[in-house]
Amino acid sequence: MTAMIQLSNVSKWYGDFQVLTDCTTQVAKGEVVVVCGPSGSGKSTLIKCVNALEPFQKGTILVDGVSVGDPKTDLPKLRSRVGMVFQHFELFPHLSITDNLTIAQMKVLGRSREEANDKGLKYLDRVGLKAHAAKFPGQLSGGQQQRVAIARALAMDPIAMLFDEPTSALDPEMINEVLDVMTGLAHEGMTMMCVTHEMGFARRVADRVIFMDRGHIVEDCAKEEFFGAPRGERAQQFLSKILQH
Amino acid sequence: MMDFSQIIPALPALTDGMLLTLRLLGLSVVGGVVLGTLLALARLSDRRVLSGLAKFYVNYFRSIPLLLVISWFYLVVPLIYNWLTGSFEPVGAFTSCLVAFVMFEAAYYAEIVRAGIQAIPKGQVNAAYALGMGYGQAMRLIVLPQAFRKMTPLFLQQSIILFQDTSLVYAVGLLDFLNTARSKGDIVGLPHEFLIFAGAVYFVISFGATLLVKRLQKRFAV
Ligand SMILES: Nc1ncnc2c1ncn2[C@@H]1O[C@H](COP(=O)(O)OP(=O)(O)OP(=O)(O)O)[C@@H](O)[C@H]1O
Ligand SMILES: [Mg+2]
Repeated sequence: MTAMIQLSNVSKWYGDFQVLTDCTTQVAKGEVVVVCGPSGSGKSTLIKCVNALEPFQKGTILVDGVSVGDPKTDLPKLRSRVGMVFQHFELFPHLSITDNLTIAQMKVLGRSREEANDKGLKYLDRVGLKAHAAKFPGQLSGGQQQRVAIARALAMDPIAMLFDEPTSALDPEMINEVLDVMTGLAHEGMTMMCVTHEMGFARRVADRVIFMDRGHIVEDCAKEEFFGAPRGERAQQFLSKILQH
Repeated sequence: MMDFSQIIPALPALTDGMLLTLRLLGLSVVGGVVLGTLLALARLSDRRVLSGLAKFYVNYFRSIPLLLVISWFYLVVPLIYNWLTGSFEPVGAFTSCLVAFVMFEAAYYAEIVRAGIQAIPKGQVNAAYALGMGYGQAMRLIVLPQAFRKMTPLFLQQSIILFQDTSLVYAVGLLDFLNTARSKGDIVGLPHEFLIFAGAVYFVISFGATLLVKRLQKRFAV
């Protein structure tokens, strides 16, 4: 298997404060990797480095063979090939659901309105929200907004999807509708890197689990191994705390 | 006794004056918002020199009287125009005033736009970037449309102030609404009546617009 996302010795500082230390891991094509760890351990930072929303100072990240840190890399083009889903959905509130789905397809990929509409509606249908195409984001529930956000990313035909705690801002009864969409994607072979504390999702869907602590990747193993017996004490503590809920 | 009847024959001239006032206002608002937006973007730029220059511009024009800018541009704009184009066509007082208003008001609009941009959550910009948009697209398609919506009441408020301030063009002899009323009143020997009438017109327009802004503010607050 070839690595779709390859991180090698990535380190990052905010001023004097080191957020990431020597992070090395990879996500193979079609693989689903869950990233977990305590608050402030650097999960969001790590995933944002992958599509260059955050710069890093040391190491290399390759996405489909393209070096993210190389100043010659066309970052907008790279980002247009990687889908990202945020904790707070980040739909554009001034645009209708249809326009949310089509704007980047047209302005970034240069698709015609017709083509963009077709594609957008296809994915909106996939996440079960076709009836809401004419509405605005503010008229939808959190779970619905997050599903639209996933459809918006998918409409760009990404080679991989990044998720940063996609369900942690949702009311409990809406979490599953979003996880179901993500599970479907995983089964279709999408390459996925998901920051999440949904351990049920990790157990069912993930191929590998990465555990981060204070900027280090301290566990990086197959999920069976991780849930069987995580080696580190911090991971044990973390898991027992999380699984109580 | 007050005699307001002489205002009626002066109405065509007064209307022309009001049209000049409104034309100056409209063009100044458009030009001021455009230049103000560019200044706001420059001020928020990572490039130190650019943001420093924009900051200086804004602080400078916010620290000098508008009347000074009008008088000064009346002298300077024709010189610069002739120097740039090499022609010696005279530049009208209207054009000089328009340039003065645009440059002066831009400093105020810039601060409004800057606050508006800063009020848009960082996550919106990140989402735009994550979809492959560049800086210009993210601003134009995502951030500015939202910022302008939030800022509409403040824009209108600033424009009401500008509506009143356009009367300062009397300094360079432009016949706007107030200046027309004043000179007509002097000619027919009824300065009080004409000024009272002019005051009533300014009040009705400005106060009416203010009420409108209040209603908009309530709508936009939701
Ligand atoms: N812009 C910033 N400037 C300075 N420090 C930052 C900045 N962004 C994040 N940090 C710090 O970097 C560390 C890692 O932050 P990050 O958001 O990646 O953590 P996280 O693992 O995603 O946490 P959470 O579970 O709370 O989302 C934290 O200590 C945070 O305070
Ligand atoms: Mg986070």
